[in-house]
Amino acid sequence: MSKKPTVQPALHKVIMVGSGGVGKSALTLQFMYDEFVEDYEPTKADSYRKKILLDGEEVQIDILDTAGQEDYAAIRDNYFRSGEGFLCIFSITEDESFQATQEFREQILRVKNDDNIPFLLVGNKCDLEEKRKVSFQEAQDRANKWGVPYVETSAKTREHVDKVFYDLMREIRARKKEENKTSNGRGKDKNKKKKLKCCIL
Amino acid sequence: MDFDSPEVMKDFPGLYSSEKKKGADNDYNDESEKTTKKDMLIGKRKEKKDKKDKDKGYAALEGESSDEASPCKSKKSKTFKFTKSKDKEKEKQKEKHEVTKKSRPKKSEKPQKGRKGFGPSKQIVGGSSELADALPIFGVDLEEACKRGRCHDGIFIPLPIRECVDYIEAAGINFEGVYKISGPKNKVSQIKKLYNNRQVVHFSEYDVPTATSSLKMFLRDLPEPIFTNDLLIRFEEAGAILNYNTREKHLKTLVESLPSVNRLLLGWLVVHLHNISLKKHVNKMDKQALAQALNHTFHVSSRLLHALLLHQEALFPNLTITKYYPPLDSGSALPDDPVIIEKELSKLESLLSQIHWEMQNGHISKTREEHLWEVQRITTELKRKLKKFAKTESSQPDQAKSSQEKQEDNAKDELDNTKDELDNAEVQDQATVVISEEPEAPKLEQASDENKLEEEKEIHVEEKGDCSGILKDQQRSDSEEDEYTDSEITSTDSELLEECQYFDEKIVTMKIKNNLLKELIETLMMNINKEKMEIGEYQRQILNLKRGLPQRPPYKKCLKDPNSFHEVQTLLARENHMLQIKKLHLVRQVMEQTEQCIDLTAKLKYTFKDIKDQKIMQGKDITTKTP
Repeated sequence: MSKKPTVQPALHKVIMVGSGGVGKSALTLQFMYDEFVEDYEPTKADSYRKKILLDGEEVQIDILDTAGQEDYAAIRDNYFRSGEGFLCIFSITEDESFQATQEFREQILRVKNDDNIPFLLVGNKCDLEEKRKVSFQEAQDRANKWGVPYVETSAKTREHVDKVFYDLMREIRARKKEENKTSNGRGKDKNKKKKLKCCIL
Repeated sequence: MDFDSPEVMKDFPGLYSSEKKKGADNDYNDESEKTTKKDMLIGKRKEKKDKKDKDKGYAALEGESSDEASPCKSKKSKTFKFTKSKDKEKEKQKEKHEVTKKSRPKKSEKPQKGRKGFGPSKQIVGGSSELADALPIFGVDLEEACKRGRCHDGIFIPLPIRECVDYIEAAGINFEGVYKISGPKNKVSQIKKLYNNRQVVHFSEYDVPTATSSLKMFLRDLPEPIFTNDLLIRFEEAGAILNYNTREKHLKTLVESLPSVNRLLLGWLVVHLHNISLKKHVNKMDKQALAQALNHTFHVSSRLLHALLLHQEALFPNLTITKYYPPLDSGSALPDDPVIIEKELSKLESLLSQIHWEMQNGHISKTREEHLWEVQRITTELKRKLKKFAKTESSQPDQAKSSQEKQEDNAKDELDNTKDELDNAEVQDQATVVISEEPEAPKLEQASDENKLEEEKEIHVEEKGDCSGILKDQQRSDSEEDEYTDSEITSTDSELLEECQYFDEKIVTMKIKNNLLKELIETLMMNINKEKMEIGEYQRQILNLKRGLPQRPPYKKCLKDPNSFHEVQTLLARENHMLQIKKLHLVRQVMEQTEQCIDLTAKLKYTFKDIKDQKIMQGKDITTKTP
């Protein structure tokens, strides 16, 4: 058990959420393959894996691109449960998608049962400034309220695309380190408890 | 020892993990040693106990031995602990998970090398024991088992059966005593566990007897026999029929009335067993031996099983066993051919929906979630490939089109050719039929002329119409066999006459049979009516008696003990049941013998009449040849 963990890079699981057509798949594909897809095709669910260098450390990122449409909401829950970090995306050109982020946030918190889950609020399509419906301040306020960062991106121009993924992974990494510390202590406790339980039996 | 029993395991899934912790401090090892010593002292009595409830015993042994197995065990116990605990040491946990995943093949090699090596199964018990307990694949209704252990290529057969059959077809077909020699119970139950936990089973790490025994166990564990409770007796009856053709006919109708899931599985197994029997000179297992080795598994008599194997081709004509290739996993190379990609995608979708379904039913585990992501990832990758392919396709539309058109043209040509051939064949057939029918008519009339009744003649003509279909078929098969050529169509009169004679014989014997059967039915109906009347008479008598006697003294008086009364009752019931079966067999035999009698009398009558014909014909017309 000594050698192998060092060989195997850490794996971070990121989930893309947001209403339909805000650009979740576009962001993912831009990040994964540096390509921008013009034609819109609703996603059911897609998953990608990529090896990257995060602050000099080789890590793996698993991205799960979920469906924006409500039709696949049942499937979505299964994925939310296994996500370690979430990118909650809306389109700055569509107010409805911004309002929907509230629901997504609640759903994630409900499934994960954890207020500090790594989470980024992302306003996509920032290249379409002239069609903007959601002001930067409005979005920033909501992010502040939740205690999460807010970033504006453009899948088309690749603006801040890497940033959102890397920022989120850093959060996940920090979170995991923290958990390791606390769980080490707790883990021992639990072992003792189990021993005790066994004796009673 | 009671702690080791599987029931306890179920109730306290955490039991072993904590015990193993102890094992690290050498506490538990001592304990187990003590118990084994005790066992040795107790000796025979213990053995008897084990025999009584074998499964329990083996499970218990299994528990013991796995606890004794030392170095890799401690690792496993750790993983076990981690997968159970929910929110601690996530990173470490995952690392370990991956390590165990990687090293799994190594561990599972161990069973072959001798040590019992329950590594993989133990690990899974920790991973998704809920799923195995709540939705097992073994021991549940067949349809449910098909759903839970789904084959993702659309063939509705439980995965364990499919994989066992595949492995046995590949590795066991030349194995001497295949299906006769049973595998070690601990390995078989290990395989069962693996399947129930939705784990991949590598049969190559086991052996043929283990695979055959696993298959047997699956079938034995089914709550309802594969022949279904309703049809089982009728199957047995049909299997007992002596006459080959009638037996086949009865079995066929019964097989067709089985539910489709049962029918497919039965067909699959029968074809598989037939394949095995084809190599009987190597594996020493002919149909009879196979039937004897497997009758308990199918909950039937070996006679029925043997009959099914004999009639395999007629019962399951278009069934061939196709090997199952599970959906791609992360290790496998992705295909390039769009057609194969489509196939793989549909398999993956099926797998995905199954995982989602299981998760929505509350069976969530770390391994399951990881599996879900993995499957999703492969699906995405394949979809991307397919899209790319579609793009390149559309960018070179001209080339593709032209080649396609060419192909279509070729296909058309071929179609035309075959059409022509078909037309020719039809013309030939018709010609032969017409030719053969012409001289037939007078012949038939002759025959019936001599044969007493005018009525019969009419029936005869009617029957001729019916028989023309048969005639045609016969002709066709003949033409296939002999590869008819034009010269042969204009065959000599004598040949035609021979043929006519043949059909004549058929028709006449059939007609005689018809009459005899009608007579039989009449007599039977008469008997039935008689018996009905007798029944009515007896009922009346009973009623009269009841009126006469106020009430019978209850039986309890002669049997003081109510227990013995029950015993007697059950004994009698059993005896009655036996007698019922015997009666059924006898009735069956009687019917068969009457059928044979009818066959023989019909032939007798025909030959008798034939002699008459010959005499008359010799007198009338000498030019017509008679065989």
